[in-house]
Amino acid sequence: MQFLHTKDCNKKHRQSWIVIENPDVAQALRQDKNQNLQYLKDNYNLTLDQITALYNYGKFQYSYGNYSGAADYLYHFRVLSTDPDLTISAQWGKLASDILTGKWDVALEELNSLREAIDSRTPAPFASVSSSTNNTPAVDPALSQLHSRTWLVHWSLFVYFNHPQGRALLLETFLSPTYLNTIQTSCPWILRYVAAAAIISSPTPTSKSSAPQSSRVKNAVREVVKVIQMENYQYTDPVTAFLTQLHVEFDFEAAQKELQKAEKVVSDDFFLGDFHDEFLESARCLVSEAHCRIHQRIDIGDLSDRLNLPRDEGEKWIVNLIRETRMGQDAKIDLEKNLIQISRPPQPVYQSVIEKTRGLAIRTQALGAAIARSGAAAAQTAPQSVEPVAVS
Amino acid sequence: MSRFFKQAGDSDSDSDESEELMSSGDEAPLAKSTTGGKPAMSRFLRTAGSDSDSSDSDSDSDEESDSDSDAPKPKKAGLPLRSDSEDSETEEEDRQGIRIMSAQEKRLAEMEGTGKAMENALKINDWVSISNEFDKLARMIQRQHNVSEPIPPFYIKTLLSLESALTSAIAKEKEAKKKMNATNAKALNSMKQKVRKASKEYEQDIAKYQADPEGFEREYTALVTREAPATTSVTRTTGGIIDSDGNDGFQPVGKGGRTMLLTAEGIFKSLQSVQEARGKKNTDRGEQIKILEKLLELATTTYQRIRVLLALISSRFDYNSSASSHMPTELWVSAQNEVDQLVAIVASNPDYIVQETTEDYDDLAERSPATEKGGIVRIRGSIISFIDRLDDEFTRSLQNIDPHGTEYVERLKDEKTLYSTICRAQAFYEQTKQDDPLSRVIMRRLEHIYSKPDAVIQALESSAESADVKPYITLASKGSTSGLIHSLCVHLYRSGNSLHRTRAMLSHIYHYALLNDFHTARDMLLMSHLQESIHSADVATQILYNRTVVQLGLCAFRSGLIKESQATLLDIFTTQRVKELLAQGVHQQRYQVLTPEQEKAEKQRQLPFHMHINTELLEAAFLVSSMLVEIPLLASIDSEELKRKAISKPFRRLLDFADRQVFTGPPESTRDHIMQASKALQDGEWERCRDLIQSIKIWSLMPEAASVKEMLAKRIQEQGLRTYLFTYAPHYNTLSLSLLAQTFSLPLRSVTSIVSKMIWNEELAASLDQAGGCIAFHRTEVTRQQQLALTIAEKVNAMAEQNEKALDAKSGSSGGWGDRADGKTGEKRGEQVQERRGRGDRTRGGSRGGARGRGARFAQGLGNRMGHTSQRAG
Repeated sequence: MQFLHTKDCNKKHRQSWIVIENPDVAQALRQDKNQNLQYLKDNYNLTLDQITALYNYGKFQYSYGNYSGAADYLYHFRVLSTDPDLTISAQWGKLASDILTGKWDVALEELNSLREAIDSRTPAPFASVSSSTNNTPAVDPALSQLHSRTWLVHWSLFVYFNHPQGRALLLETFLSPTYLNTIQTSCPWILRYVAAAAIISSPTPTSKSSAPQSSRVKNAVREVVKVIQMENYQYTDPVTAFLTQLHVEFDFEAAQKELQKAEKVVSDDFFLGDFHDEFLESARCLVSEAHCRIHQRIDIGDLSDRLNLPRDEGEKWIVNLIRETRMGQDAKIDLEKNLIQISRPPQPVYQSVIEKTRGLAIRTQALGAAIARSGAAAAQTAPQSVEPVAVS
Repeated sequence: MSRFFKQAGDSDSDSDESEELMSSGDEAPLAKSTTGGKPAMSRFLRTAGSDSDSSDSDSDSDEESDSDSDAPKPKKAGLPLRSDSEDSETEEEDRQGIRIMSAQEKRLAEMEGTGKAMENALKINDWVSISNEFDKLARMIQRQHNVSEPIPPFYIKTLLSLESALTSAIAKEKEAKKKMNATNAKALNSMKQKVRKASKEYEQDIAKYQADPEGFEREYTALVTREAPATTSVTRTTGGIIDSDGNDGFQPVGKGGRTMLLTAEGIFKSLQSVQEARGKKNTDRGEQIKILEKLLELATTTYQRIRVLLALISSRFDYNSSASSHMPTELWVSAQNEVDQLVAIVASNPDYIVQETTEDYDDLAERSPATEKGGIVRIRGSIISFIDRLDDEFTRSLQNIDPHGTEYVERLKDEKTLYSTICRAQAFYEQTKQDDPLSRVIMRRLEHIYSKPDAVIQALESSAESADVKPYITLASKGSTSGLIHSLCVHLYRSGNSLHRTRAMLSHIYHYALLNDFHTARDMLLMSHLQESIHSADVATQILYNRTVVQLGLCAFRSGLIKESQATLLDIFTTQRVKELLAQGVHQQRYQVLTPEQEKAEKQRQLPFHMHINTELLEAAFLVSSMLVEIPLLASIDSEELKRKAISKPFRRLLDFADRQVFTGPPESTRDHIMQASKALQDGEWERCRDLIQSIKIWSLMPEAASVKEMLAKRIQEQGLRTYLFTYAPHYNTLSLSLLAQTFSLPLRSVTSIVSKMIWNEELAASLDQAGGCIAFHRTEVTRQQQLALTIAEKVNAMAEQNEKALDAKSGSSGGWGDRADGKTGEKRGEQVQERRGRGDRTRGGSRGGARGRGARFAQGLGNRMGHTSQRAG
């Protein structure tokens, strides 16, 4: 580990650095921070002051441009420090350093731990805050938490749009209730990235991602559409408007126009620029999926227009689509009339009954387990919970 | 001595004397004895250490106690004048005496009868019966007082003769001890006491009578007959005296023979006596106010004026003792003026501070910045409480006045002045930087404007603007009314008082809702998390919350957000107690009778009429939005089982009722209109539906009614299309889109869009044929067996859900909304909670999965629902 000694590099931090570098020390350190501190003090004469020096030095390294160095210092500081404010600050610094050095895996880890740290500070509800604080709204914990979350949302864009798994993770994070609230409250413009991520990660025939996607990601488009619809009054841009037109208004013409605009926006966007092709491909898939689900007979030329493709290319694209998706068995191309014929036999009733009752057994089992755990008090409800199983 | 005193003394005694001379013009022979009387008086004045003439009554009594040693003459001489003027004064003041003239003769005769009986008893030396008769007489005299009639000379005569008889009887008694039995002796003694007391009470009259019996009687008859010219002449002389006195006001206020002189020097003393009389049973409040008004005229220094104003305003508020009735308007207006004066005085004299708690100070001493340490005079009192009271009284009077009369409108005009008073007080508190009263005053101000449309706020503000002192926050400085309200609210948010914060927040939301800014209002409401804590708030705040929510629902309706509007208004309509929840009427309790106290409290809570949200309009908005939501839904459901699930119970109930009607006449009420419109919508006759809805008269009360009607027409077209598709889909194989567009006069594009949406959401089993431009339906018939299978699957699902909920409730870890709400409210609002529980049970009977029982708790239920729609409540 090499680092540059400057005049600011004082003895204090050097000493602590040496101590930390010592493998014995690393082994001796435990979970409990106070204990660690005591240990270091007893064995290596390392004081809190010297540890704080690590933080300052890390900060210096960061301002100076040596991000990997800063990341190291801040990491060690975080391990040792007991000061919660400085620890958080160090975490932010570490995240920034990791982003700047482009180590996306590390950055992602850092991001997650920071997120946990922020979320673990439970905000007080409005009423109790108002009764306890005396004319100091500046230190309102709920507000500061909102600020931290807003910053986190913005910084995380760097990570999520660079990490290979990023888009799925972005959807996971941003669609969780707390972060959705944050976005809706303080930064609705993030919705563009949420929408774009949802479109990009929607399943396309060409990108057969082997990684299993969570239900949230699978239903991302639907969820995002809901949010966009709700926030329509305070934020719209071509990307969100495209989704609105497609999935709220079902106006394919308008959607096509919005897609044209969105294409330009995406290619110009700092984060989305790299995903231009994927975005376009997924968007087309979404359009054709919606189109096919609603229509019985589709004019190929018309569909190609809706997809912003020339006729020939459009035909090719559609044929590929039909071949590679499950629609294949239902859709037939009538070349003579230049039509796609889609026949969708209605779902049999027994199928829907099975669908409806599918989860019940598991749910009831979980219920039973919960009752068994909660003990004798809840035992009265147990006989009731057995019944559904018997019925189904 | 008297000479010296006169020279050294103030001009008062001089003028007093001259006045005496004038008023006793017909008693010229007494002039000499008047001066003779002076030495005694001045001596007492000096020993009492007071040079004020208002203390005359005191010195009189002093004099009286010494009357044994003093010659009766000075007494006689010094006092008749006052009683003279007193008499004329009583006459002036109490003209109601005229009314009971006829009864007077009777009373007089009665008295004379008693007198006769006494004389007879005197002859036989029966003191017991004398004592009894005298008591009777005293009662009669007291009655005479009560009707404010002068003392008949007969009484004085009797008193004098009794006095002499007593002295002789006692003298006799001393000589012959054996002559009298014990009871008689006792009666004699008590008689002695009584007579002394009575003669002390009427000493002036006695003195006057002794001096000039004929004159006294003449005067009495003059008074009794009350010939108009005589009255006026007497009044004129008195008036002349007062005029000649100049600023040295001479206002004797007499009751029971006591007189009071009000002078600038005696202000504090008078003030004190007024304050002492305050709250006592027999105190005449009107008179107190008069005294204080006079004192205010006399008050010269700032300190005096502040003191008198403080006392005067509070006695004005005291005027009405009962809590149920309201303050008379004239009193209110003068109180309001006086508060203005007080604020102006205190604001312009920073050396004087009115505080609720001060160090003790001498009430009787004059104080000025020079005499106080720190150069600041602190006076006990509370301006903010006056303003609060003023505002409360205003509200109360509005509550009590018939809102449909002109009086109400007249009264409402006073709001302008009240508002400017509040603004002035705000300016004052801003100037003196008193945070707590400032936020209270701002709250008051906010409460006057939050629910008002722009034009009214501008009118109120313009009156406040014209005042000499302006608060920091004005309409002019903020540009717009919402800016004004915003800055007022922001000020309150910053203040530490959580009640003010809550109320400010709700008012702010209300205002946004009034401005049709639904999203901002909704976001504020949800982010404040008020719906979680509102149940522990006081009743007034809960009412404000309900008002806010209702206004929000109306706002959603005006903005065309039908679903939101329906969801917001549903909860309050499920309770069926809309008026009560909005404090716009007392609910008729069917099963329990309110105690008078509860009823009174309920009445006091009511909002004044001009603040009301029109419930008929509210109902129209709710039912129309319910119709637009419910009718297509009803059409989409084909099994009877599912039909029982209703989104809007109140609407469903009405619809069912309308269905049972054998004959339906032309619609009259708003409900009739909506019900017939619903039926028309069900039948696909959207034009008729539209016409019916648009012909509802109440819409005219809604701002921008035309655009609302237009919006409704559009919604009716869309929902009509949906209903039509749901209802008639089974009868078609294919349906041309252009035909649909034509039928519902919608553009083809929006028809396609609506149909696509329905297909996408799997509401309609169909698909579009782009080539043919039509909808192709693929409907599958469900056999009875299959249908039953589906039903059972659903029921099992519901059961599992129930179980999960039951477990949640048992373990109570997270989903304890029910427990929490019930626990929190506690006994505080026992009756309301009971009500709520009752309703909760009723709704729980319904089979509505997610929202069971929630409708019962209006506020809570709303929060949850809103949470569903926006996912923000968490």
